[in-house]
Amino acid sequence: MTHRVDTEHGADAAAAADTSGLRATELTVRFGGNTAVSGISFTAPRGRVTGLIGPNGAGKTTTFNACSGLLAPSAGRVALFGEDVTARGPARRARLGLGRTFQRMELFDTLTVEENVALGREARLAGSHPLRQVVNPPAQRKAVRAATEDALELCMLGQQRRAIAGSLSTGQRRLVDLARVLAGGFSVLLLDEPSSGLDTAETRRFGEIIGRVVAEHGSGVLLVEHDMALVMDICEHIHVLDFGELVFAGTPSEVRSSETVRAAYLGSEAG
Amino acid sequence: MGELAPFLIIGVTSGSVYGLAAMGLVLTYKTSGVFNFAHGAIAAVAAFAFYELHTVRGLPWPVALLLAVVVLPPVVAVGLERVTRGLAGGTVTTKIVATVGLQLAIVSALIAHYGGAGLSFPRFLPTESVGIVGINVGIDQLISAGVAAAAAVAFFVFFRASPTGTRMRAVVDNPELLSLAGTNPVAVRRWAWLIGTWFAAISGVLLAPQIGLDALLLTLLVVQAYGAAAVGLFASLPLTYAGGLLIGVLAALATNLVAGHQWLAQLPPAMPFVVLFVVLLLVPRHKLVEPGAHASPAPVAPLVSPATARALTVAAIAVAAVLPLLVGPRLPVYASALVFVLIFTSLHLLVRISGQISLAHAGLVAIGAATFAHLATGVGLPWLGAVALAGLVVVPVGMIVAVPAIRLAGLFLALATFGFALLLEKVAYPSDWVFGAQGTLPATRPAGFDSDVAFYYVLLAFTVAGLGLVALITRSRLGRLLRALADSPTTLSTLGLGINVTRITVFGLSALIAGVAGALHAAQSHAASATPFSALQSLTWLAVLVLFGPARGAAPVLAALFLVVAPTYGTSDALTDWMPVVFGLGALLVAVHEAGRAQRHAGGSTAQQGEPSRAAERIGAGSAAAERAERAVSRAGDRPGYRISIGTAREGGR
Ligand SMILES: Nc1ncnc2c1ncn2[C@@H]1O[C@H](COP(=O)(O)OP(=O)(O)OP(=O)(O)O)[C@@H](O)[C@H]1O
Ligand SMILES: [Mg+2]
Repeated sequence: MTHRVDTEHGADAAAAADTSGLRATELTVRFGGNTAVSGISFTAPRGRVTGLIGPNGAGKTTTFNACSGLLAPSAGRVALFGEDVTARGPARRARLGLGRTFQRMELFDTLTVEENVALGREARLAGSHPLRQVVNPPAQRKAVRAATEDALELCMLGQQRRAIAGSLSTGQRRLVDLARVLAGGFSVLLLDEPSSGLDTAETRRFGEIIGRVVAEHGSGVLLVEHDMALVMDICEHIHVLDFGELVFAGTPSEVRSSETVRAAYLGSEAG
Repeated sequence: MGELAPFLIIGVTSGSVYGLAAMGLVLTYKTSGVFNFAHGAIAAVAAFAFYELHTVRGLPWPVALLLAVVVLPPVVAVGLERVTRGLAGGTVTTKIVATVGLQLAIVSALIAHYGGAGLSFPRFLPTESVGIVGINVGIDQLISAGVAAAAAVAFFVFFRASPTGTRMRAVVDNPELLSLAGTNPVAVRRWAWLIGTWFAAISGVLLAPQIGLDALLLTLLVVQAYGAAAVGLFASLPLTYAGGLLIGVLAALATNLVAGHQWLAQLPPAMPFVVLFVVLLLVPRHKLVEPGAHASPAPVAPLVSPATARALTVAAIAVAAVLPLLVGPRLPVYASALVFVLIFTSLHLLVRISGQISLAHAGLVAIGAATFAHLATGVGLPWLGAVALAGLVVVPVGMIVAVPAIRLAGLFLALATFGFALLLEKVAYPSDWVFGAQGTLPATRPAGFDSDVAFYYVLLAFTVAGLGLVALITRSRLGRLLRALADSPTTLSTLGLGINVTRITVFGLSALIAGVAGALHAAQSHAASATPFSALQSLTWLAVLVLFGPARGAAPVLAALFLVVAPTYGTSDALTDWMPVVFGLGALLVAVHEAGRAQRHAGGSTAQQGEPSRAAERIGAGSAAAERAERAVSRAGDRPGYRISIGTAREGGR
């Protein structure tokens, strides 16, 4: 099982030098008059799983969107491996090594599972250069195939490779989404509720996959999850969001015993 | 001021009716999420109904007017509400194709029944004129403007004061509310369609006396309302009405300004499209909010296996090769069909494979045809060189069409390209650079291939090459990227692809093929002329192509056979005339069917995830009301999950 480092871009070399990974500073996102995320700062370094939890509507997905460049933050900065990317588009951030999945799995529904996964790597290789988008040199073809095979095997999707993605069950779609972003060889992964829709066995398998990706390739993961057992199990450090504000940060055991966190969750259930 | 007064008067009188038509259009668009390209056709229906009842059947004009403008619209409105409800879950393309198909069906039916020539419309209003600030204005025009203004005012009163109006206003402000709060969506939409249809009918009956009874012309005149709708950013009704007045005044001023400049003569009538295009290009993107999210297409299983498809391809080429022996004098028809296969292939690459929208395709083909004629006949380039250059010249034009695709998505992209197409038609076609004032240029076939049979084989070679090129593209990296682009551009950009580069590339490639097809069209018909490439043609082509969408790769061939060849086999003229009605309705049915599939597909995956209705997730750049409603839902224990806001997505927005 190899997780190939994308040497052509040189970006990952820089990434290796700077373990800071993703860093958000004083990030604020407003929708009209509603502040979804207000002035939060955190890091998601390489080589560890960082949790981002909070009740529904706390602003987790919004934070992801601002980090990956799909939303322009109202204030604050986003840096990747030491480079300020606040003004960069999503494609540029991806080529620097930031990958993400979607809470609502955004698969390429009319493509096969294999093509979906291959695109994780190929989109990045094609980049923003017109010629690269057209020409597919043999070396890249090999790299794409190898990355696809690895990711399919890791996520146990070998059987479904020829299936049309739109026809799969929710659990399998989650795995395709994950395999696609793994094939991309990103240095930091933002995973938005990756285990929702998975059964117990699949969730356990998912935890193992994440463990391996972090241990073997030194990737960083920022994980949004509602499955607390999973979060407590695989996260080294956890940030807690409530109403767009960072209310707590600490290790799993600190989070478990925190009154603030309990209040945030209880408050949302009672209110 | 004194000098401008006449233009203000002229402008306001003509603009008032457009403003009214545009209000109807915006109202139905905001409440149903479907932009009704058949709005003008409905205006034409009312005008023809009045003509039928009054002139043909001899009813007194007030009775005829009452029936055509007051009684008929509710029937039409209920039908439209029903049809557009079925479209709600469809992609932007299916929504566009549905109403384009309807427009095609209505206009062709009117032409088939009443003939294409403009009939003279009974002038039922007094025609004397009165002098106002030094100019003569027809009393009928004043009454028209007054009636339109009164209808607009009556509507605003209803909109502000009545309970239904208030509900409607809430929905227009925030279309998503319709599915969230306790409003009865069907009732609100029915009212909206009723009022929209009334406004269309009134404007039809008011416009017809001035321009004569011509289905196509009436339809086009209502297209002018698009400009007014753009001024209101497709959202504000008062601004839309004001936009109608503004465009009327601008057009009147422009008439004065361009007097004496031959090539600018077409600018005043093109004013609405200038406004449409400029507004869509300059207004900040988040100001243009499209009701409803962009559904992605549901996956379709291929009709035949790849092996069968290959066999069919070989068989089709073989048949095409021996066709000259089989069809005798019909050969020229099949030769033009080959040209249309190329045209549809270029459109297929853009629309079906890559999920982009362009309503400017006829313009690209036209420029290819004209360039070829200039180069081959005027400059005297070798034939093949002229064809190739014609293709290349169209590439940058295609890329210009791609520029709105970078900023805009969905309907607004479609309208921007349509505005561009109308500008090309009105301003570029008559210039000496394109078709010239005559509207036609001589064009030649290559030496030694002048006979119909010989040139047929030249066309066949080009067509096979074009189809081969697109097949190659589909299998290449670019093809994968394009198919993924059709499914989810946002995801593709988060994976590292510069999707704007991909978009420009595919628009350029498609334009190349369209340009070559234009050159071949000119050579085949010995002339490059503007007539076959009116902006409305692009709509028809799109509808016909989508009609054959399920046939996938074979769609361009079937579409060309259906559009060009099938009508010539009609056993009677009547059959030939009614043919477009059939494919207009066919396109509508296919669109409704596809929308239904897309909705079931989306609904299916939502249900599996146990999340709230997709509608609740579609809230775009949010309004405060939706926000609160959503918070309430989320606090009640449900789980909202937003799609990425389209308005603010930077590179990933559709
Ligand atoms: N596109 C948008 N337009 C307007 N408001 C939005 C938009 N996206 C999110 N919001 C608001 O921002 C807040 C945070 O939403 P977000 O989706 O980030 O929450 P979340 O923590 O991911 O919740 P969940 O656990 O349910 O996924 C919510 O109050 C939501 O109403
Ligand atoms: Mg979320």
